[in-house]
Amino acid sequence: MGRLNRRSPDALIFLIFLVFLASLTSAWKKDEFRSCRQTPFCKRARGRAPNSLPSFSVADVSLSDGAVSARLVPAPTLRQVTDDDPSAADGDDASSRSLLLRLSVYRGGILRLEIDEDPSSAPTTKRRFRLPDVLLPNLDDLRLWLSRLSPDGASATSFYLADGFEGVLRHDPFQIVVRRAGSGGEPVLSLNSHGLFDFEQLRAKKDDENWEENFRSHTDSRPHGPQSISFDVSFHGADFVYGIPEHASTSLSLRPTRGPGVDESEPYRLFNLDVFEYLHDSPFGIYGSIPFMLSHGTRSTSGFFWLNAAEMQIDVLAPGWDDPAAPNAGRVDTFWMSEAGVVDAFFFVGPGPKDVLRQYASVTGTQAMPQEFAVAYHQCRWNYRDEEDVAAVDAGFDEHDIPYDVLWLDIDHADGKRYFTWDRVLFPHPEEMQNKLAAKGRHMVTIVDPHIKRDDSFYLHKEATEKGYYVKDASGKDFDGWCWPGSSSYPDMLNPEIREWWAEKFSLKEYVGSTPSLYIWNDMNEPSVFNGPEVTMPRDAIHMGGVEHRELHNAYGYYFHMATSNGLLKRGNGKDRPFVLSRAIFAGSQRYGAIWTGDNSADWDHLRVSVPMILNLGLAGMSFSGADVGGFFGNPENDLLVRWYQLGAYYPFFRAHAHHDTKRREPWLFGEQNTALMREAIHTRYSLLPYYYTLFREAAVTGIPVMRPLWLEFPSDKETYDNGEAFLVGSSLLVHGIYEKDQKSASVYLPSGASWFNLRNGVKFDGGVSHKLAVSEDSIPSFQRAGTIIPRKDRFRRSSTQMVNDPYTLVIALNGSLAAEGELYIDDGKSYDFEQGAYIHRRFIFADRKLTSIDIRPSNVGDKKFSTDCTVERIILLGLPSGAKKAVVEPGNHETNIELGPLTLRRASPPVALTIRKPNVRVADDWSLRIL
Amino acid sequence: MRTHLLLPVSLAISCLCLSWISGLASLPPRELLGIAPEDENFYKSDVIKCKDGSKKFTKQQLNDDFCDCLDGTDEPGTSACPEGKFYCRNPGHIPQMIYSSRVNDGICDCCDGSDEYKGNVNCPNTCWEAGKAVCEKLKKKIATHQDGLVIRKREVEKAKQAFAKDEEELSKLKSEEKILKGLVDKLREHKEQIEKAEEEERLKEEEEKKQRDAERQSTEQNKSLEESPLDHSEGTHDTLLETTSQLDKMDIGHESVDQLEKEYNSGIDIPADHTVGQVVDDHHNFIRSDHGSDDTSAELPSGLSTDQEKGSESADGLSREELGRLVASRWTGEHSMKETNEPDDAKEEEHEQHEQNQDSSDSVEEESYDSDIDDDRHKFDDDDFEDEADEEYGEDHVEPDGSYDPDKDYSSELSDLTPSGSSSWVDKIQQTIQNILQAFNFFKSPVDISEASRIKKEYNDANSKLSKLRSRISSLTEKLKHDFGKDKEFYSFYDRCFENKQNKYVYKVCPFKKASQVEDHSTTQLGNWEKFDESYRVMQFSNGDRCWNGPDRSLKVRLRCGVKDELADVDEPSRCEYVAILSTPIVCLEDKLKELQQKLEDLNKSQPSKHDEL
Repeated sequence: MGRLNRRSPDALIFLIFLVFLASLTSAWKKDEFRSCRQTPFCKRARGRAPNSLPSFSVADVSLSDGAVSARLVPAPTLRQVTDDDPSAADGDDASSRSLLLRLSVYRGGILRLEIDEDPSSAPTTKRRFRLPDVLLPNLDDLRLWLSRLSPDGASATSFYLADGFEGVLRHDPFQIVVRRAGSGGEPVLSLNSHGLFDFEQLRAKKDDENWEENFRSHTDSRPHGPQSISFDVSFHGADFVYGIPEHASTSLSLRPTRGPGVDESEPYRLFNLDVFEYLHDSPFGIYGSIPFMLSHGTRSTSGFFWLNAAEMQIDVLAPGWDDPAAPNAGRVDTFWMSEAGVVDAFFFVGPGPKDVLRQYASVTGTQAMPQEFAVAYHQCRWNYRDEEDVAAVDAGFDEHDIPYDVLWLDIDHADGKRYFTWDRVLFPHPEEMQNKLAAKGRHMVTIVDPHIKRDDSFYLHKEATEKGYYVKDASGKDFDGWCWPGSSSYPDMLNPEIREWWAEKFSLKEYVGSTPSLYIWNDMNEPSVFNGPEVTMPRDAIHMGGVEHRELHNAYGYYFHMATSNGLLKRGNGKDRPFVLSRAIFAGSQRYGAIWTGDNSADWDHLRVSVPMILNLGLAGMSFSGADVGGFFGNPENDLLVRWYQLGAYYPFFRAHAHHDTKRREPWLFGEQNTALMREAIHTRYSLLPYYYTLFREAAVTGIPVMRPLWLEFPSDKETYDNGEAFLVGSSLLVHGIYEKDQKSASVYLPSGASWFNLRNGVKFDGGVSHKLAVSEDSIPSFQRAGTIIPRKDRFRRSSTQMVNDPYTLVIALNGSLAAEGELYIDDGKSYDFEQGAYIHRRFIFADRKLTSIDIRPSNVGDKKFSTDCTVERIILLGLPSGAKKAVVEPGNHETNIELGPLTLRRASPPVALTIRKPNVRVADDWSLRIL
Repeated sequence: MRTHLLLPVSLAISCLCLSWISGLASLPPRELLGIAPEDENFYKSDVIKCKDGSKKFTKQQLNDDFCDCLDGTDEPGTSACPEGKFYCRNPGHIPQMIYSSRVNDGICDCCDGSDEYKGNVNCPNTCWEAGKAVCEKLKKKIATHQDGLVIRKREVEKAKQAFAKDEEELSKLKSEEKILKGLVDKLREHKEQIEKAEEEERLKEEEEKKQRDAERQSTEQNKSLEESPLDHSEGTHDTLLETTSQLDKMDIGHESVDQLEKEYNSGIDIPADHTVGQVVDDHHNFIRSDHGSDDTSAELPSGLSTDQEKGSESADGLSREELGRLVASRWTGEHSMKETNEPDDAKEEEHEQHEQNQDSSDSVEEESYDSDIDDDRHKFDDDDFEDEADEEYGEDHVEPDGSYDPDKDYSSELSDLTPSGSSSWVDKIQQTIQNILQAFNFFKSPVDISEASRIKKEYNDANSKLSKLRSRISSLTEKLKHDFGKDKEFYSFYDRCFENKQNKYVYKVCPFKKASQVEDHSTTQLGNWEKFDESYRVMQFSNGDRCWNGPDRSLKVRLRCGVKDELADVDEPSRCEYVAILSTPIVCLEDKLKELQQKLEDLNKSQPSKHDEL
């Protein structure tokens, strides 16, 4: 029960004054986090002018093991003395040792660059950390065996990269260029073309040196001294760059952080942090880090990925940053800095946007295929308090005929925040509770965080302590930090043995009170440490093999997510697809489940920012992501909540969530009118589940995200390049959010090269034009692209589980030549049988007044079959000249009627589209349907 | 009383009649699926209109599993129209309309299993058991309502009388006030004249004395002149003080003096509190309006701010544990810094709390088992909770311990004012004063000391009586201006409070006044009386003490029919938004009783006809 905080009247007046002062400044506790200036490696690297460093030159170029290998030899000049870098002054061997370079080529247009120290001349036993387990294990199968190097004059070496592309290693100064093949080939990507490459080599500490770093009350012992790396990367032919999530930004593209026209600002920071009430527009680091950037322009699309989990800072440089007199055009320069690790970087040549995404996916993997229920609607709150509360919320959905699939339990369900346990007073019968939900086809999710309560009577703590499974502090003791349960320790997830141990904890036997319908939520895995520096783990904490936390920080949550996901996989004997939501992410997290954008706030700005955030996550491989609908902190006004449901219904991951200080927010608590609006938004999602599931299949196979920026489908339409207000679901559906209170109209840009059908009234709009549309409260603008077919299920049930036998509706939007195409993927929604071919994959083609369904499942995918009796109950035709009255279905040669019908089955939806009544063909079969 | 006894018996008999039901109801033909009997005629014609008038459909399109009418008219028996409803006959139980989304979804919804006719799942017919339980439940409810109604009638009668009495008293008091005021004015006039005369005499004496003094000590004259302005002001002050103390002295012996003072003070206090409350409100609004985009706590200079808000600057001096708690408190809103308890302690308390909730709710669950008769209801809907009141059925109507009767206080306090006996106290006073005034001789000089003091005393007496009278008038006026319901049925609630103890908290609800949560010696206001809501089914208290990082506390008390007044199930479903149930006969209404009886009748009626069919 809430308690009173009494204040005397005097204090009150004073407070009013203070609140007034406070309201003028920012919410976010900026001082708690390091700026670039407070971060020595960043400050030093950022302070350098281009080409001001002594350069490296390339020597001993050779082919070895099918890859290019060479030495990088520092120029023999003395390095400049700076205050920050006293070590460089004395001609230490670190600055004269050469580095080892390796360039390897992978199938599909991927160049990999590795640069590390030469172990044969290392002055210390410490080796730089190379992050394991992120690249796909079979990546080497894709490697191309280079058979020859071509001299490119005397000053460079070039080699084959992909059809139409070649890699070039320039010798002095050292530079990597990816360019189009042929004489005078245009560059696509280049590294160190501005001479900013720097590599601080490890060295022995001198007696008079102090390597410690202090931030606020925290001291980082930095036992291995400075070891940062920095370099510049240029994206040629690019208008904009995207990616490197996770940041909160209202802009889809990455805005410049340095150079002419940029106010003093911070670089984009990649450092996983639990930021309380994060700002809606800021380059500072939040929960996740994916060091993958892609560029796009009219001439080229390319990508760059640096596999490194240490803190990273990235500048996007405004044109003219190096020479204001001659601003570069048609190129975006960027500057990458990292505190530790090695150079292990990938260049993706494109040339199309989807090519870059496929290339990146072939390195880090694609989105794991989710269970079908996970694609439906999730209901969460911190906290559904007890079994009665759970039952009442569950009943509320039934009473109001609102479908939902998953009910979530936050930290308070556990006994004193000891995860894997239950507060037996609040949840005396967890199995029974889960089974009751499961009887309605619903699932439950409980939270399991990485902080383990240091309580000797807690079996998990006892075991982890005895086995020595915790991360150690700098002194070698088990690291002890403060989180929800109080004093806590953190399992060392870098260690595969510990991950196995962790995974076992999810078995039905070990996780007492769990059932097969229970899935998991990983929160706080940045990791969040309330009393640590920047609310996280100290950088000098020690992991397996003496690896410092600084070297893998950004991947800790990734490993935790991986271990949990594998736990659920094991629980189901490898047959049940895991569902694990994680807050912290790194490159590759897409292989382990869903993620969300963390603790957002219930305000319009956070609604707006959710779209560019999710789009950039999708570009960086994270297809299955969403923002908390309604906003986590604070109470949304009714219209904001409704708008959020209307937008959130299109997020790949669709979950409502709220902080425990907020008012209850279940969708029926805001009056009948709002209940109806939210029900309809949720219904929209449920009806599109077949389409979403098909898109998840595409993401799982190709790496192309479910929710896409417009330019991904319309790469030559410049108007789309920086549009962060609208997005595409798949290639067929365009959605434009409403981000302002009382907004009466919206200006919606529809990409060129296609017409668009408004999904409310069937009206056709031209592409390539910005349309000013009236906005009503009952929906946000949504359009189907002409030339596409979208499969739906228009009957609503308690949950997606009961929809399995329901018939389909096909919505066909015809283009100018009266043609359209679309796909439908179906499997059992749960298991991995699809890997043995147990699925249905159809392509629907409409041409010459005939709709044909063909099987596109390859015949060699396996012996298992999936079948369903589902039929098509309705086909809606948009853009067909009226007059058609009948259609003939083959096989069977039976006639069916065509009449004017509504676009949706909601009340008062006007009859606006030709509708084929009850063709009743089976989706699993081949058939065709001819319009008479 | 006879009929009263007979009814339950007859109900019991009729319930027994329900007892035999066939196994599985056979599937009705397609054109009857999901259609209520009263609608059968509507569907008889060959061309049928959608109920919303949007279009027409043929008989072939009825229940053909394709949605033609968006309102669901053509698909009452399938899931094809999202807006449709399916009618379950539920023989032996009450018929039910379910959402079309439930038809053939593999889950048994109707007790007769008719919603799952495709054979996805085999639904046993449970109508008989469910019907029996519903019948029992209905019987209990009806009995409660009947007894409650009797009590209610009595209460309403009492309330009406009390209301009339208070109104009468008020009008009488008002006329008395008028007379008394006249008397007081006269007395004041006299008193002032006396004082004036006395003052003149005093001045005269002083003058004489001064002259004598001046003659004697001419040297000190200047000094005394300089001091005179000061003297004067002090003198005024003294006079005031004197008057007050005189008043005090005179009132000694009057039993009501303390009370009077209290009333006076509380009369001041209420508006004062109110003002403060408003300031607080403004302050809160201010905070709230900034929430989300601007953090109110982040930038407070340390030392000036509240504990949690000390923020970044001061965090450096903290121990590791303090820092952890501080950061955690941002999310939880708890007072981390001051709390020395392990987090578990607070948890344990919550546990106990919950244990208690659990107990009470368990009993509810048992009772409401099989309550399929009602739609799925929200947890706090009165129907579900009325059962609990049923348990207490039979006990006498007892005043809860927590209630008190302030009228008693008033009567003792104002015993000399309350109209008792045939001749009014006002008349007496009037008489007395008249006599005194007549006896007093103004032109006598010097003033007769004893008579003058008598006048003053009478003035003070009468004046204090007048203020008591006024305070009584204002409290009565305050009371009478409230909305006590159509029949003034809530009149007795005005002077009552209801209590409920849950673990260490005592919840106290005083209708028309306020509600609070008492823990040991600290009291948290859950809200001030706002109004009745939902046609007198809910009492709303709002603007209680503010929650840290939350809204002002508020309490919603849902009223349900019970044979005695009892506060139960206080809960906090959303932070700082409390709800409670108050069972009372006051809301046992005739209409609801009839409705329940009708329900029971329907339940019984549906049965024999089914028998005939079978």
